[in-house]
Amino acid sequence: MSEGTKTRTIKVDYLARVEGEGAMYLKIHEGKLEDVQLKIFEPPRFFEGILRGRKFSEAPDITARICGICPVAYQMSAVHAMEDAFGVTVDGPLRELRRLLYCGEWISSHTLHIYMLHAPDFLGYESAVHMAKDHRTEVERGLQLKKTGGEIMSFIGGREIHPVNVRVGGFYKVPTKREMQNFREKIEKARDAALKTVNWVSTFDFPDFEQDYTFVSLQHPNEYPMNEGRIVSNKGLDITAANYDDHFEEIHVERSTALHCVMKDSGQSYHVGPLARYALNFDRFPTDIQKIAKKAGLGKVERNPFRSIIVRSIEVLYACEEALRIIDDYQEPVEPFVEIEPKAAMGYAATEAPRGILYHRYKINEKGEILDADIIPPTSQNQKMIEDDLWKFVPQYIGKPDETLQWHAEQAIRNYDPCISCATHFLKLDVERS
Amino acid sequence: MNPKTLIIGIGNRFRGDDALGCVLVDNIQTLCLPDVEVITHSGEPASLIDLWQSRKNVFLVDAVSSCAEPGTIHYIDLQEQGLPDNFRSYSTHAFGIAEAVELARALNKLPPKIVFYGIEGKSFAATETLSPEMMAALEDIKTLVVHNIKDTSNA
Repeated sequence: MSEGTKTRTIKVDYLARVEGEGAMYLKIHEGKLEDVQLKIFEPPRFFEGILRGRKFSEAPDITARICGICPVAYQMSAVHAMEDAFGVTVDGPLRELRRLLYCGEWISSHTLHIYMLHAPDFLGYESAVHMAKDHRTEVERGLQLKKTGGEIMSFIGGREIHPVNVRVGGFYKVPTKREMQNFREKIEKARDAALKTVNWVSTFDFPDFEQDYTFVSLQHPNEYPMNEGRIVSNKGLDITAANYDDHFEEIHVERSTALHCVMKDSGQSYHVGPLARYALNFDRFPTDIQKIAKKAGLGKVERNPFRSIIVRSIEVLYACEEALRIIDDYQEPVEPFVEIEPKAAMGYAATEAPRGILYHRYKINEKGEILDADIIPPTSQNQKMIEDDLWKFVPQYIGKPDETLQWHAEQAIRNYDPCISCATHFLKLDVERS
Repeated sequence: MNPKTLIIGIGNRFRGDDALGCVLVDNIQTLCLPDVEVITHSGEPASLIDLWQSRKNVFLVDAVSSCAEPGTIHYIDLQEQGLPDNFRSYSTHAFGIAEAVELARALNKLPPKIVFYGIEGKSFAATETLSPEMMAALEDIKTLVVHNIKDTSNA
């Protein structure tokens, strides 16, 4: 950090409380913001290259390794894309079990971010460890809630990190009705904790900041989207995953080992994740969740990215309720999976990872081998959006001391819960004032 | 009632010497030590903290990469100090074992005795086998760690 008569430089080499490694650079000249760069320097991981030549059936296990926080999202996008390629529909209890597995991941991932990574920003603590000394009850609640999410993932997926029970067509093993019922009490407690979470985060102070976002998410006719739906936006987009490449473009920027994504027609950024899902699917929530969201101070659309912490808490509450519904309605499937006959084909899918839409495209040959793969994670899609937020948000604090400016800038980045490990398939902060 | 001593092996079995913690506890398990439970764990903080409750002694065994000589055993009494920063660089996760330890400390949830054994690895390449150097040193490392665990548990 340095300050000259004309140039003020704030440098933070490693952004904390984000998944992975990256940096942020802000250049301020004579009180005016001149440059914003979200730098991602985690080495590229070449997962698409690893997939080439592997069997279609290996995709869920290989892609799950991209992320230890949202492996289910990778598995779900992989299996749906393969099933799209081979013309297979997985429905009934198997579809419900996939949704239950996703509920577990949303609860676990969102709770980690709400309690351990983002709440300290709002309450003025350096970290969750510092926060725990004054907010013991809340931190313990967060730990328990996250743990329940992980237990759902272990229960359905075989283990919490990189689940092993998912296969193209369904699962290797499915739970009995009794096993499902035995899980109910735990999720009921989680639902209570989730409601307390909504009440807690809704009392935080939020910076006054809104953007006219292009929200992009899945939309399903009759459910809040997780596994399935059309890709829609609040600006008129309405496409299937097969048309994703026609409307979105990945571009390389020198400062990032993760590709940036833009809308093809405008070259502009777009916003994926909880705010987008919420804005485009509010009416898909059950009435009680809608009422709780309103009571928490949310409208049908929320454009203040700092309030995404409330939206995440609503999604956690919904995931708990949805998990209970799935458990109560569960009927054991006749077979744990649908048989797959591979053929030469293209397969496309997008599912809703906790951080937003996760797109997979595969080209398969007649032997069921992967010839080509494309994986576009939500953090790649939000990368330019994060920079755009900073371009508009940082000037509000430009006259403040560097420490204050840095605090708010990092908080703004964490609004997106960026998973840099996913996007490179890592963050530092530099502010330069001149 | 849970055995009073818990030994937890942490690591990724697909990343060369990162599997050291898991392989070591696999070997320790065959010794059937009395009143000792041996498990492997992903390192997920919330469930780790839960596992520590009601235990008198907890031993965490994990591979580290801190530029020390491969095979070096770093002994850290977590009641006395946290994990050093240079043990954290191989985690891509914002919330890992070091944070779990500090969070448990803040919440008064550390067991009476908690020790971290960091085994300096040599290669963290994508392979299911340990490096030849670590394979050769494994038995000696196990003997040293088990001896230390017995001493510490009885202290």
